[in-house]
Amino acid sequence: MRAPNEIDFWRGFALITIFIDHVPGLVFENYTMRNFGLSDAAELFVFLAGWSMRLLVDGRRGRMSVLESTLRLESRAITIFTVQMILTQLALAITAAGALIFENPLFLEWNNAAAAFQEPVETQIGLALLTHQLFYFDILPLYVVLMFMAPLFVIADRTARWLPLALGLTIYLATHITGMNIPTWPVEGRWYFNPFAWQLNFVLGFVVADPKGVLSFTRNHRTLLRILAAPIVLVSLWLALTDFTPNPLSMPQPRLLFTFDKTFAAPARILHLLALVALFSGLFAVISRLLPSITSFLSLLGRNSLYVFSLGSITALLSQYVRYELGSSLWVDTGVLGVGIIIMGFTAWIVEWRGRQRGS
Amino acid sequence: MRSFAATLLVLAFCSSAMAQSNPPPLSPQCEAPGSDIAANAPLAHLAERLEKGGPLRILAIGSSSTTGVGASSRRKTYPAQLRGILESALKGVEAQITNRGVSGEVAATTADRLRMEVALEKPDVVLWQLGTNDALARVSAADFERTVSSTVEWLKGNDIDVVLVGLQYTPKFARDENYFIIRQTLQKVASEHNVLHVRRYDAMQFIARHQPGSESLVSGDDLHLNDTGYQCMAEHVAHAVIANLFVRKKDLPKIEPPSK
Repeated sequence: MRAPNEIDFWRGFALITIFIDHVPGLVFENYTMRNFGLSDAAELFVFLAGWSMRLLVDGRRGRMSVLESTLRLESRAITIFTVQMILTQLALAITAAGALIFENPLFLEWNNAAAAFQEPVETQIGLALLTHQLFYFDILPLYVVLMFMAPLFVIADRTARWLPLALGLTIYLATHITGMNIPTWPVEGRWYFNPFAWQLNFVLGFVVADPKGVLSFTRNHRTLLRILAAPIVLVSLWLALTDFTPNPLSMPQPRLLFTFDKTFAAPARILHLLALVALFSGLFAVISRLLPSITSFLSLLGRNSLYVFSLGSITALLSQYVRYELGSSLWVDTGVLGVGIIIMGFTAWIVEWRGRQRGS
Repeated sequence: MRSFAATLLVLAFCSSAMAQSNPPPLSPQCEAPGSDIAANAPLAHLAERLEKGGPLRILAIGSSSTTGVGASSRRKTYPAQLRGILESALKGVEAQITNRGVSGEVAATTADRLRMEVALEKPDVVLWQLGTNDALARVSAADFERTVSSTVEWLKGNDIDVVLVGLQYTPKFARDENYFIIRQTLQKVASEHNVLHVRRYDAMQFIARHQPGSESLVSGDDLHLNDTGYQCMAEHVAHAVIANLFVRKKDLPKIEPPSK
């Protein structure tokens, strides 16, 4: 097992944050990073996925060929798709059980589930096509598309080091100008995480992680970057605390560029994420020295992120029913958070334990 | 009953005075007095678009009654049926309706989505169906009022008409106190901001009381509308919209909404 490192540590941090944000009404949701800035754990998670792709394709064994990296990335896309199918089915089963146990058919509507029960014929197809997504179960479809598109960025990277960023920015700008997104079906709407916009977070992770890439100068000018990043983080903090959002209608065209919209991964959110990365990169060294047990726990979660995310999502959904039944109080919410962290930790531990059993 | 008849008379007088407004007749199973459907409020921006020959751009947003939970097909949802009614009533004018309903959503969540959807769709009017989930999720009246007020104000400030489509009637919730409070709050916000409010509860209750034995509007679970229910919802919204397309502020009669 790889030793605790910065990427796994922050990914573990993002996983716990996502768990908290996925239990609506939980007391602790008022203290996650989205309350103190524009971007949230989802951006961090996707950025780190791009970073991981750099580690994969430029790994220790030297640069991976385009063919090998394509096979690796596409099979990862299939794995994530499979996990999404299982998670959605489990979530629907929990939703149906909730309606039966509490004898309330309105529970069937929670989290955009209604169509699965009211229009099962169309919705079964929509679930498999990823055009029907439940709330809080909508980030893995983004990953499927990102992994599916990822070889494109690897090919670009092998062609010229500046090309992935140029390609990512072009797709991003085109998305913002045209407002394009993947439509949902059978329920009319659009994807919550627009992959054509969100790919930029992924590409930025991929490019920043390149030690010789177009953004490699960032590594040699960390102090300067921190001086630039600090005011961005502070202004974002002020915007978040005062709950300020720009009025999209009073913005010039293309309007989407000037909002704080999450679906379209607004530039302000991306800028905030980059500022956070600039400001807090290197903090890991301090934390790992002062708090070694927390460091190794979060890294354990981060190393097994797909499993931990999956079990965390299911636990978060179950927690919605627990809070409905027991009401909300600091005790209940602390219990929910504690159980959630234990389940996520146990999941990561057993995955590694099983791996060790196989290896021995 | 007498006050109801009087209201009908007043309304009949008003509509004859405004010769232009000519809402299509309601189907027999959806028959309800205009006063139970909505009090008058202007739809200036939609009217302006109509004068220019359209197309009317309409954003239908809300929860399960907007997505059409319980409808037998997509063509039977209320926004889809509304489009047909509007286009045939306003001969030759195209009505583009975008459906952005998400099942199980409370007003505060919809309000968050609404601004972005408005920026993307640039509609002339927003049909916002709301209230039922807030009542069931025990959202406080004060929070609900704040959400709806600020959103309505924002829409008006950006020159977009708004129609609030209220809570539905089901006997199950007829005595639910929270349901009543949310319904009252919505009514209050609508009249304070002088926006059109389609009172589904009153219209559906009228149908339930006066057409016993007629085909039910709700499906087996007693909560969601069936095709007929969505047809009536579309007819009532269309009725309210068309009746108010030509209303100017100064023409508005001073009618107190029935206190119920």
